[in-house]
Amino acid sequence: MKQKRELVGQPHPQCFFSEFPAESDWDAVIIGAGPNGLITAAYLARAGLRVAIVERRYEVGGGLATEEILYPGFYSNMHAIYHLMVDFMPAIKDFDMERHGLVWIKPNLQTAMVFGDGGSLLLTRMIEDTMDSFHKYSDKDAVAFGKLMRNWRRIVSEILAPATYIPAMPPIDLTVAMQRTDIGREMLELVEQSPLDIINNHFENDRIRAFLLYISCMWGLDPRETGIGFYVPLLIDRGMNKCYLHGGSHKLAGALSREIVRAGGTILESSDVIKINRHNGSVTGVELMEGRTLNSDVVISSLDPHTTFFDLMDKNKLPTDLKDSVERWKYDKWSFNTVHVVSKEAPHYACEDQWVDESFMTIFGFESTKQLLAHWDNVVAGKIDKNSLGGHATCESFLDSHLVRKPGHISFFQMHAPYGIDGGWDKRGPEIMEAMLAKWAKAAPNMKRENIVMAKQETPKDIEIRFPNMRRGSIKHGDYTPIQMGCFRPNEACSNHSTPIKGLYLCGASTYPGGLVLGGPGYLAANRVAEDLGVKKWWKPTKEMERYIKTYLT
Amino acid sequence: MPKEERYDFVIVGGGPNGVGTAAYLAKCGASVCVLEERPEAGGAVENTEPIPGVRITPHAMYMYAGPAPAFEQLELHKYGFRMDWSPQSKNLAEQQVRGVATTQGLAPITDKDAMGWAKISGMLTDPPFIKELLRSIFWCPPHPPEIEVTAENVPYMQVYKRHQPDVWTEELLDMTMFDLMDEYLETEPIKVMHAMVAWYSGAAGHWEGVAIPALGCDITLTIYGGISVPRGGMHDYFHSIIRCAIAHGTVVRTCCPVDEIIIQDGRAVGVRLRETATTDEKKIWANKAVISDVDVKQTFTKLVGPQHLSTSFRRKVEDISLKGGSIWVSHLLTREKLRCRPKFRNPVSGDDAGLGPYPCDSRAIYYEHVADVDGRRGKPTMPPERLMWLSTPGDRFDAADPQCTIPGRYLASPYYTYVPPPEYTVGGPDALDKVKEEINAYLRKAFSQTIENLNDDTLVHHWANTPYESEFRNSGLIGGTWCGTRHCDDQWGENRPIPELARYRTPIERLYLCNQTACHPGGLALMAIPYNLMHILIEDGLAEPGKWWYPSPWYIPQKGKISAVPLHAGGK
Repeated sequence: MKQKRELVGQPHPQCFFSEFPAESDWDAVIIGAGPNGLITAAYLARAGLRVAIVERRYEVGGGLATEEILYPGFYSNMHAIYHLMVDFMPAIKDFDMERHGLVWIKPNLQTAMVFGDGGSLLLTRMIEDTMDSFHKYSDKDAVAFGKLMRNWRRIVSEILAPATYIPAMPPIDLTVAMQRTDIGREMLELVEQSPLDIINNHFENDRIRAFLLYISCMWGLDPRETGIGFYVPLLIDRGMNKCYLHGGSHKLAGALSREIVRAGGTILESSDVIKINRHNGSVTGVELMEGRTLNSDVVISSLDPHTTFFDLMDKNKLPTDLKDSVERWKYDKWSFNTVHVVSKEAPHYACEDQWVDESFMTIFGFESTKQLLAHWDNVVAGKIDKNSLGGHATCESFLDSHLVRKPGHISFFQMHAPYGIDGGWDKRGPEIMEAMLAKWAKAAPNMKRENIVMAKQETPKDIEIRFPNMRRGSIKHGDYTPIQMGCFRPNEACSNHSTPIKGLYLCGASTYPGGLVLGGPGYLAANRVAEDLGVKKWWKPTKEMERYIKTYLT
Repeated sequence: MPKEERYDFVIVGGGPNGVGTAAYLAKCGASVCVLEERPEAGGAVENTEPIPGVRITPHAMYMYAGPAPAFEQLELHKYGFRMDWSPQSKNLAEQQVRGVATTQGLAPITDKDAMGWAKISGMLTDPPFIKELLRSIFWCPPHPPEIEVTAENVPYMQVYKRHQPDVWTEELLDMTMFDLMDEYLETEPIKVMHAMVAWYSGAAGHWEGVAIPALGCDITLTIYGGISVPRGGMHDYFHSIIRCAIAHGTVVRTCCPVDEIIIQDGRAVGVRLRETATTDEKKIWANKAVISDVDVKQTFTKLVGPQHLSTSFRRKVEDISLKGGSIWVSHLLTREKLRCRPKFRNPVSGDDAGLGPYPCDSRAIYYEHVADVDGRRGKPTMPPERLMWLSTPGDRFDAADPQCTIPGRYLASPYYTYVPPPEYTVGGPDALDKVKEEINAYLRKAFSQTIENLNDDTLVHHWANTPYESEFRNSGLIGGTWCGTRHCDDQWGENRPIPELARYRTPIERLYLCNQTACHPGGLALMAIPYNLMHILIEDGLAEPGKWWYPSPWYIPQKGKISAVPLHAGGK
């Protein structure tokens, strides 16, 4: 590596103190300080590289945001709140997050679903508690769930979870590897089924089907699509193991940024990257909107494919295959519309099982799989039926007193929603918010007007305004479909986190293995860069990853 | 899993002073832990985005800290510190061209006004001595108790005597800023404008004996800082401080409220966290000292507890006045860019942003406002046509650092108005909050005196944080004040907040203070308290800085203590 110049402060001609300079030299520049960008930067900084990470917003974290959107006095986790992979994410162990005072809470009562007649279902961390609840509707389904989950847990902990942090493999190689074990073969059988088929095959009661279908598909699987069936065990198992980060999701971003700074890295907020500089085909750094230049032979983008390849580079100088693949990229089929409220009382659901009020997540609005599928079909078609909508709610202050600076409770109700809604969000927003509040008050009768102190809606359009690279409100930077997953995410040339452009790497949710605060793309990109630069890795694979490698890859 | 941790220093409160102190101490090689109760450190130096694409500034907005030694000592540029310079910073003369906003329109500023102001601000010598003047006002710890404060040893008096002896007179110590301006300026509106800038910056223009501190509050913003903001707002400036602290090893814990400062045998030894604290440690021990960046009242009444304090001391702390700066902060989102009425537009550039204080007709209006805010203690009674308020430029200064990114929407944030402190408001601390919408409408009427297009058709949203809400949001902002407690002569320098606490030490051994309410020179996120406190911690043998350290040239070591002047610079 070239010798880098020392960072020298730049005095303003009129003033008497120094600022960060107009031009500076780095070993690696990371674009975007969401979870993945931060993870890549933290690994590389501790590996001894001189790292700068540049963020457009005034605060790092991307979707790891805990902010006072119910202003003044009330904080919300307005984006990521359910942390699905805490049990497996290498960064949590490698950086010893406990040392940073990070405490994840994993409630036993994970998800509830309440129905119009006062019936309810529970998904709990403990299989038996879930079975108890299923027994109310179907003994057969309760027993089936117990047996299935024992296998699915193994599929997740031995295959799917560790594989998240191991580079993508072509489907053929993966199929051959999975033949080695029973659970591997079982997993392969699931791949070719749709989520709806898998659930219908194993369960008979329609409420239980609707419940598990919601949990399987809520993060963006098409219920009828084949080829990604392995996500069903993953999302149900992880749906039973969601964690809440005490103090708010932003604490993870804070801890990662401290790791970066502690290792000598630099974080620049309020800086929009407007160009990735290239010379003779190789990247040479980035240009910021404010006019500063960061020189580096390595640039790692956590942004979506359009922004990285088309907005920050000359689209016409890209290899044709790459250009075509970016043009073909499909953003998420649906986004979220969320109503955040401050209320005097916490939501109290009208149902026979009062345990529901303590649930981390509560689904309501759907009485059947038919109604649920109709809602999703509507959303994909750009519609919302105000009389038949549903979603999930969480009372955050129930989990975390730190979010509330004045007396009161904060909760949100979130539903799947189209980015391009009929009539547009500006026009439709208010009536949809009213419909959601009405629906909420129906499920939890105390959530009436007189109990609500403040309410605020965040539409898919709002998501895009806050986080412009969540284009069309795509929380995962791109749809989960078979041709955009695994070694095809974002395309075959880039899914191993390097790109056909020398020095340019990808570390965001649009790259394998995807979004949802898995921390996978960030970890894998750090590995790739370290290998390419010949930098010694200070970290080792987790024991789950080692077992997976031993069983399937050696 | 460890249940107890141990550091050299435990700092309670992660505002700019707590974290600035941490940065200094960590750079000395000490192990430091900062405990902050909110989800984000930064105190009142904060940003928030209540609706997507709209970044508002609940409190601190402007850069006052320009002359701080910390820029050099902590090398903040390495941690990403950047500014958005106001166009005015490049052309100070433009302020003179535009004039001062009065009910009659823009009142002219004369050459005598400009020259007089430049002279007392240290701008007429070659080179100018403004930096030295400002450092002498803010960046020097109060003198030790055995030293009698005289016209000869007050730091800023020494500076005037040396650089501008014709300004020096013993009376500088007794004057109000109005008195000073009456001597050097001639036009009433400019005097009222500066008095109000000073009042909104901590030391009011009419307070006895703080003419120069009030001047300092004004010119550190208007001349030295170029009326500019850091890139990304004041919170990004805070980022550079906290990252310096972290880079040197400071441990920062958010969502970790402290319930008690543990005192053993009259000595602070650590803290006990609230049971909800988001860490598994319940007690954190301090080998060397506990430093409180919590306001002075809560530090002693809640965290230390009356059982460790003498009755007379406790009473003095309880009696510290909270008056002098409770702000109602407005943030206006509109469909049109707010425009000044024609008579307020800059005659040369046509620019109509950032009028600053209004109305500056005469000190009669100013005094009416003082009476209303600090005298009557109820709902504002000023007619909106005469209400004084302070605007900031709606679109800031850098198109590459926008506060509002929604097409077709414009943000004016913050607009500041003083109201009575909640603690003293007739009808209880929430009395004004109960009529919040009414007061917001009243304020908009006042704002409309200079703005021509603020009305129901253009207004999308008017957020406000009332002083009482500010106390909820930032529990250290007692009284909902900008600077904590007033920077009046009875609470300035050797008297801040009471003489017993003036040198950051407390009756509890190894308990030090670094909050703006408790320490000279108070608020404005100057990084002055951390620098000044360093002198005291060096005196007590608790901090040993490296070659990067230099003390204040006006600092006087306390008898029997280690001098904060390094040996290589002639210290003992």
